[in-house]
Amino acid sequence: MTDAAAIQDRFRERRFIVDEAFATALQIMLALEKPLLIEGPAGVGKTESAKVLAEVLGTELIRLQCYEGLDAMAALYEWNYPRQMLHARLSEADGSSLQEREAYIFSDRFLLKRPLLDAITREQSPVLLIDEVDRADEAFEAFLLEVLAEWQVTIPELGTIRAKHKPHVILTSNRTRELSDALRRRCLFVWLPYPSLPQEIEILHARVPGLSDRLAQQIARLMQALRALPLQKAPGVAESLDWALALMSLHREHLDAPTLEQTLGCVLKVHEDRGVMHAHRAALDPLLGDAPVNLESGGYSLDTDFGFGSVSAPRR
Amino acid sequence: MYPFASLPENLVSFCEVLRRRHGFHIGPGELHDAARALDVVDLADERAVRNALRPVLAGTLDDVMVFDAAFTQFFFPDPAGLRQDQMPSTRTEPGTDAGGRESDAQRARHAPASGADADEASGLGGGPMTPLESAGDGPEEAVVFAPSSYSPLDANTSDAPELPRIERAWSDAARLFVRRLHLGLSRRWRPASRGRRFDLRRTWRASLQTGGEALSPRWLRRPRRAPRIVLLVDGSRSMSASTRATLQIAIALASATMRLEVFTFSTKLQRVTDEVRRAAAGELRRLDCLHHAWAGGTAIGACLRDFLRRFGERMVGRDTVVMIASDGLDVGVPDVLRDAMRELHRRSAGVVWLNPLLETEGYEPTASGMRAARPYVTTFTSVNDASGFARLSRMIRLRA
Repeated sequence: MTDAAAIQDRFRERRFIVDEAFATALQIMLALEKPLLIEGPAGVGKTESAKVLAEVLGTELIRLQCYEGLDAMAALYEWNYPRQMLHARLSEADGSSLQEREAYIFSDRFLLKRPLLDAITREQSPVLLIDEVDRADEAFEAFLLEVLAEWQVTIPELGTIRAKHKPHVILTSNRTRELSDALRRRCLFVWLPYPSLPQEIEILHARVPGLSDRLAQQIARLMQALRALPLQKAPGVAESLDWALALMSLHREHLDAPTLEQTLGCVLKVHEDRGVMHAHRAALDPLLGDAPVNLESGGYSLDTDFGFGSVSAPRR
Repeated sequence: MYPFASLPENLVSFCEVLRRRHGFHIGPGELHDAARALDVVDLADERAVRNALRPVLAGTLDDVMVFDAAFTQFFFPDPAGLRQDQMPSTRTEPGTDAGGRESDAQRARHAPASGADADEASGLGGGPMTPLESAGDGPEEAVVFAPSSYSPLDANTSDAPELPRIERAWSDAARLFVRRLHLGLSRRWRPASRGRRFDLRRTWRASLQTGGEALSPRWLRRPRRAPRIVLLVDGSRSMSASTRATLQIAIALASATMRLEVFTFSTKLQRVTDEVRRAAAGELRRLDCLHHAWAGGTAIGACLRDFLRRFGERMVGRDTVVMIASDGLDVGVPDVLRDAMRELHRRSAGVVWLNPLLETEGYEPTASGMRAARPYVTTFTSVNDASGFARLSRMIRLRA
């Protein structure tokens, strides 16, 4: 796992297609032992990439899902108070010394490890996924910085725990708010965009085995066209895959207008977006129908000029 | 081929160029990481070097969008022989909306990062540099910065609005305003003397003082949600009479809260948060950086849509109060404004519209733009002095 091409291959074996830039970013992240911040539109595989990375490295994935109100207790550790109290009461009469009892109560047995502490106490570097970090509040970000910089956690009762092996950290963000510069500076940054057309076709083939070549091309083309529309919620790769599965289960050989209507729910998740799509129907229509799409000539893209002025596209 | 002989020298001066000309945040730490990153890739492979340096040096999407062009420009300058410091900055290079998915990010590059950059922007157009991704759309770039039909003047210096000095009454009113924005409770738990949830950890800690018997309970409660404010100031000519009060609001809010973003618009939208912050600190007296965001005609709908596209997802959430200061005299299509307002209303905690025309006796919001926007405005009023601003805090309606 030393160069980008190897990473690409290993990811491909696990049916996850990454481009060269992203593979290099992973390579740099592993070499420099720095956290990698992945930003990008929803549904392009940010979270999935961390899972696959864990598989590729043959290590475990520890996931910290961020949400509003997440605090240090839920991210780091907590003592199991009820159990401690119970033990303190029960052991009052067993004759052990105070020191013994104290050491026992504040031992690992009563410590509830949350993801961050869990990640730094493993014997082998795990992949630590800090998912949707933009959802946690700013206060948590500051706390996270401390952990990411030092890789140590101080528990008053136990002392300072240092990471034996630094975890490979992946942070993801959907940009629902601006992350602080301080956090950005601690991390390597990579922007994961929507895949290009050939990439998306490759992804469809990799993730949905048995999908016909023509259908994969149609889906990918239509997706590219849809993403160019001013939608409120542009469909991601996850939507492409859902759609491909839906079409497979409906036994459709190709995409036509009625099928599009039936399965639109897989792709457009906001009601207003349907209106937008219908308003731009003229641009999408050439991509529908059972005519084989000609890949060599680049097919009909949205801005193809056929030299007929206002005639948008010839059909058949 | 390379500007300097040795690799470290090249790297250092490349980082210097990125930092100075493109506004990257690169410190010694990043430089060190960049050098280490080059250790692990094949230096003969240009793409590998590019891909390795990008994650280290570019920290935001904006950075990523200019990185490749800057890289090409530095290591493979064209025409050959031009010195690096004579190259135009890519940061202000306006992209065109030709491509599908890149257009958003390119649009983000439109906004000049600082006043100095903006001055350079007007001299752009014939630079020797052609960024990789926007190769071929050179002629269209000039169009972006060409004055539009209803703002023939280049509003660069003559009309630049003076920033009022911060006044006590205004800043008091702003503090009151921020404090009175009730957005419900946050999801976090904070220690408190009274609260709704039992704090086992602190209770037990405190019980050490009473011999292990938990006599004094400790509690947790949810703190109030801190509001974010986005202020959109209409800088068109028709608003010039009320400019002072609006800018006063902006500066007073900047002194009261850090969670504020300020934009001005007339035919174009521009972010002026940093300028307003500096004005609140008494460092800046004049908004010099505005080009088409001041003293032109008004395209409210288009500007709001632009705002939503470029900044909406980061800046408008359920904690956000959107304030629009405008007379609603829109020259654009009302539908655009209506859609943008619906979207703002849907995503924010409330939309406050400050309309100076409300001061005029007998004014009815019947202009097409105002009529389109009105259903999505939660508080519709006007503010022309500090006491009016203080009153606003009492009449504001929010969805908590």
